[in-house]
Amino acid sequence: MNNIFPLIALLIFPGGLFLMASGLVYEWVDRKLIARYQNRVGPRWFQPLADVVKLLAKEEIIPTGVSRGLFVALPVIGMAGALTAALYVPIAGFAPSFSFAGDLVVTLYLLSMMTLCLGLAGANTTDRFSLIGATRTLTQLFSYEAPFLLALLGPAIVAGTWNIAEINNFAGQNIWLVVTQLMGFLVALVGLLGKLEMPPFDAPEAETEIVSGALTEYSGRGLALFRLGKDVELVVGLTLVASFYLGGIANPLEFLLKTLGLLIVMAGMQSLFARLRIDQTVGLWWRIGALLALVQLLVLIVVRVLR
Amino acid sequence: METKLPSTWEKALDSIRTWARVNSPWVIHFNSGSCNGCDIEILATLTPRYDLERFGVKLQGSPRHADVLICTGPVTRNARDRLVRIYNQMPDPKFVVVVGSCGLSGGVFHGSYNVMGGVDEVIPVDAYVPGCPPRPEAIIHGVVALLDSLKKKP
Ligand code: SF4
Repeated sequence: MNNIFPLIALLIFPGGLFLMASGLVYEWVDRKLIARYQNRVGPRWFQPLADVVKLLAKEEIIPTGVSRGLFVALPVIGMAGALTAALYVPIAGFAPSFSFAGDLVVTLYLLSMMTLCLGLAGANTTDRFSLIGATRTLTQLFSYEAPFLLALLGPAIVAGTWNIAEINNFAGQNIWLVVTQLMGFLVALVGLLGKLEMPPFDAPEAETEIVSGALTEYSGRGLALFRLGKDVELVVGLTLVASFYLGGIANPLEFLLKTLGLLIVMAGMQSLFARLRIDQTVGLWWRIGALLALVQLLVLIVVRVLR
Repeated sequence: METKLPSTWEKALDSIRTWARVNSPWVIHFNSGSCNGCDIEILATLTPRYDLERFGVKLQGSPRHADVLICTGPVTRNARDRLVRIYNQMPDPKFVVVVGSCGLSGGVFHGSYNVMGGVDEVIPVDAYVPGCPPRPEAIIHGVVALLDSLKKKP
């Protein structure tokens, strides 16, 4: 009986199946919201599922000139990183399945794995569009990663712990941190957009210039896994930001309300802003994002020392 | 090594595959020498006014991601190689829809020294949409007819 529960946690809930299903649902909500903002009808509710199933049933072409092993393995590794990260965050309001002191750092690294895999996947092929896409993906990684990390450090410092579950509890018992740390919240939310390469930070897959960036050569299974991995990352990222800044997540209802609330704001930003050039993205993050996050941290530290 | 599944399972899997295929046609658009009239109509079809995302249609940039190749114009001798290459780059199963009279038969360019005369001279075609240029409604009708024919296949 004892080894059954970890298995369930890995394969069905909160890992594996549940996560993928909720990822698909969240992708649909995102696309539907954007469509409604643009005065369209938008996709049907099963659209992301149909997309993924269709891609899985398609032929996978492995182009010449690539390292075959890497080409096949990278989507799996990226997806595994995103799924593993979910085990450490309070998905659907339940306590994280695994947790230890300092799992915040591990989770953030696991979330970056997806982006790294994307960059490698692009650099692996000999196609010029993928190469430019890979360069842009990695450049963007270097620009948003540090401010995003700093923004999530704020709540950790206030709570005095690096454990996600404890920060979640702390956020639930105190005033919503978005009130006291507004700058950090903004940086974290926009950082999530950058992490998921959503507009206005979709220069790495700008289809009007570089076809579809690092994924240009991927078809069938690889593409499906990368899409699914991104959806999972969306859920994990939303959960993380909601549990840190929006007063914690204690039950499924709160989870739904808070993450969907965040998603509405994010979809609004996606349809509001035009795509930034890659140099503008880097400039924005290092001139404004990092500065805001640092000021936030400084204030927090000073307050802590004074008290 | 092929594993054989029981036929009921095969059938169920097949119907799931067909369902997904019919509900998520991603298209790529290629101009093989048209006068651009048809291409403007195709772009009009993809605008929010007709909102093809409600049927799951998505315009893709990369042939590797696409299921349906929407092709316009009589194939000029210059564009022929590119058309064949793009067709070969698409992963199976793939479908071709020809839009406009030129793509059907050469249209006003029929008999010119520099055109092949119709897309089906070069690659296999699954659906034809006549018109010069066809209205967006006609293009949608053509794609829907193609998807319907997929459903009927065993
Ligand atoms: S069918 Fe008419 S509109 Fe279309 S490419 Fe030919 S001439 Fe142009």
